[in-house]
Amino acid sequence: MKTRIAILSFAHMHAWSYADCLRQLPDVELCDIWDDQRKRGREAADRFGAPFAPDLDRLLGRKPDGVIITAENIRHRELTEKAAKAGCWVLCEKPIATTVPDAKAMIRACAKAGVGLGTAFPCRYATPVKLAREKLQAGELGEIYAVTCTNHGQSPGGWFADDRLSGGGATMDHTVHVADLLRWMLGREFTKVYAEVGNQLHRRTLKTDDLGSIHMTMQGGIRINHIASWSRPASFPTWGDVTMEFIGEKGVLWLDAFNQKIRVFDDTAGKLIWDGWGDNPDLGLVADFVDAVRNRRAPSVTGEDGLRALEVTVAAYKAARTGKTVTL
Amino acid sequence: MKLALIGCGGMGALHAAMARAAGFEVILCADTVEPAARSMAEKYQARWSADPETAARDPEAQVVAIATPTPTHLPLIRIAAESGKHIFCEKPFCRTVRECREAIRLAKKHRIKLFIGHVVRYFQEFEAMRQKIQEGRIGEVGWVKLTRGGIMPGAPGSWFRDYAQSGGVTLDCMIHDLDWLRYVFGEPKRVYAQALMRGEPNPMDYAQATLRFRNGLIATVIGIWAYPSGFRVTAEICGDKGMLQYDSSDAPLSLHSRSVSAGPTMIVPLNPVEKSPYLLEWEDFAAWLSGKGTPKVTPEDAMAAVAMAEAALESAEKGQPVRFPGRICR
Repeated sequence: MKTRIAILSFAHMHAWSYADCLRQLPDVELCDIWDDQRKRGREAADRFGAPFAPDLDRLLGRKPDGVIITAENIRHRELTEKAAKAGCWVLCEKPIATTVPDAKAMIRACAKAGVGLGTAFPCRYATPVKLAREKLQAGELGEIYAVTCTNHGQSPGGWFADDRLSGGGATMDHTVHVADLLRWMLGREFTKVYAEVGNQLHRRTLKTDDLGSIHMTMQGGIRINHIASWSRPASFPTWGDVTMEFIGEKGVLWLDAFNQKIRVFDDTAGKLIWDGWGDNPDLGLVADFVDAVRNRRAPSVTGEDGLRALEVTVAAYKAARTGKTVTL
Repeated sequence: MKLALIGCGGMGALHAAMARAAGFEVILCADTVEPAARSMAEKYQARWSADPETAARDPEAQVVAIATPTPTHLPLIRIAAESGKHIFCEKPFCRTVRECREAIRLAKKHRIKLFIGHVVRYFQEFEAMRQKIQEGRIGEVGWVKLTRGGIMPGAPGSWFRDYAQSGGVTLDCMIHDLDWLRYVFGEPKRVYAQALMRGEPNPMDYAQATLRFRNGLIATVIGIWAYPSGFRVTAEICGDKGMLQYDSSDAPLSLHSRSVSAGPTMIVPLNPVEKSPYLLEWEDFAAWLSGKGTPKVTPEDAMAAVAMAEAALESAEKGQPVRFPGRICR
């Protein structure tokens, strides 16, 4: 019997990749696509050969085994609670929510319904990231003293730049991946956060922040700086990056997670393009979710992981607003 | 003009060569380490001294170049200024703002010219970036990230590794970037910083700082004395119309020696230019001494850079951001 997964909303562009991953996995059916924007939903349904369901309640009534929620950040809670009530396993796009109470409510709802809740942190499935974590956990760097990270991107525009739907700009969008990786790779929790956050590069076009320089401390005093940004110009050769410099007792480790590329000098595009050839991390994320659904287990990256990463993000905004460090 | 060099270490050797190329005559080489003073003096057919303070008041010298550990700068500046010498002093200006202020007072009182070697202002790549910014090529700049450093300097027991003396990577190395940021973008408003400052037996320092400037700019600066080898500088400058990137490891020439010793070898990138930025700063100093124009860096600028580094260190110690009061160089 095929595992039936529905996708709730294609508001987030990652939905396209997740749908593609579902098609690549054996014994999985993309059973329904719901979207509050009919045009967008129908377009996705046509592309992936799945039925478009304009009515969410009727979709949930057909009891999919699991749902992938790729709606605007602000809608994650409502959709998760509905899906949990219907007995569906949930994989929720990051950030898990825009507020800590929302994230906690989602975790509670899923626990109460006895369904698994996962946060979509595909970076954990990036092959270079996995190798970096192995080296760190094997002690190749000894004790870790400091880490400097980036998660840069280009300005996504649309609802991402509308705080009422996104909960925040680049800092909301690009802090959680690295916050999660730091926890996962170092096995520590955050204790303190300070940040400078602002609309630094898009004053005329965006009404939200496009850059956060976030200082964090982890248990054991590990010092961290992370840049969450939409700073890459339109002419930049790729979408952005995830980088981490680990300073350890026995050495230094540089991770540039998606730096497996060929350089394409493209006259048609009129610019240089970096074309990635590395493994697709989304596939690992979606495969884990499908496996979790089948085996009635929690996804490997949980709702709590999503909450922990969100807490840092919320603290960064608070620190930037108050001009003081925030203790977690 | 006749120049007394005080401090015959790595920077002293470089400054002696550049001073000579800029038209100065090295007449005296002083270092508390006598063999260092002797061999440098031999190279320049100059006198030597193991007593820096005597050298600073040498009757023949018109100019004194100071390339000694940071805490000795003020005492040597005092002697040289009281003896009426013009002074070239390696950065950082002094260990504290208080000392900088006293040095400036002495220079004014004794009417001598005091130049602090903030050489990054003369680096061609940084000047090229500054020009692009000022031409508006990348629009209004909103975020900058500068990283600088490599291996922990000095041998075991060296003053570099005594953070009370050197101020660590923040005061000794990151100060280059702090100065350049203020040079290009104006006055900072506040700073938050973290600093590692690990001591013996495995000393290393690593500083991460974020500054907010009065014009709204956010700057992230990383100072590194923590790599197993090498030295690297990177810059990334983002504006609303584009971005600039520089990376010193992306060089026209790289040398990877086949080491005869047992240790690992490393690739050394080389960025040769006809006129070294160190020569440019000496020529700027020389022009100032001969009454032509004013130099790119004033003692007040150098004091402001120390103030920025001191504030970063204070922030790292307190774990809270530190605000700059008004114009910091006053």
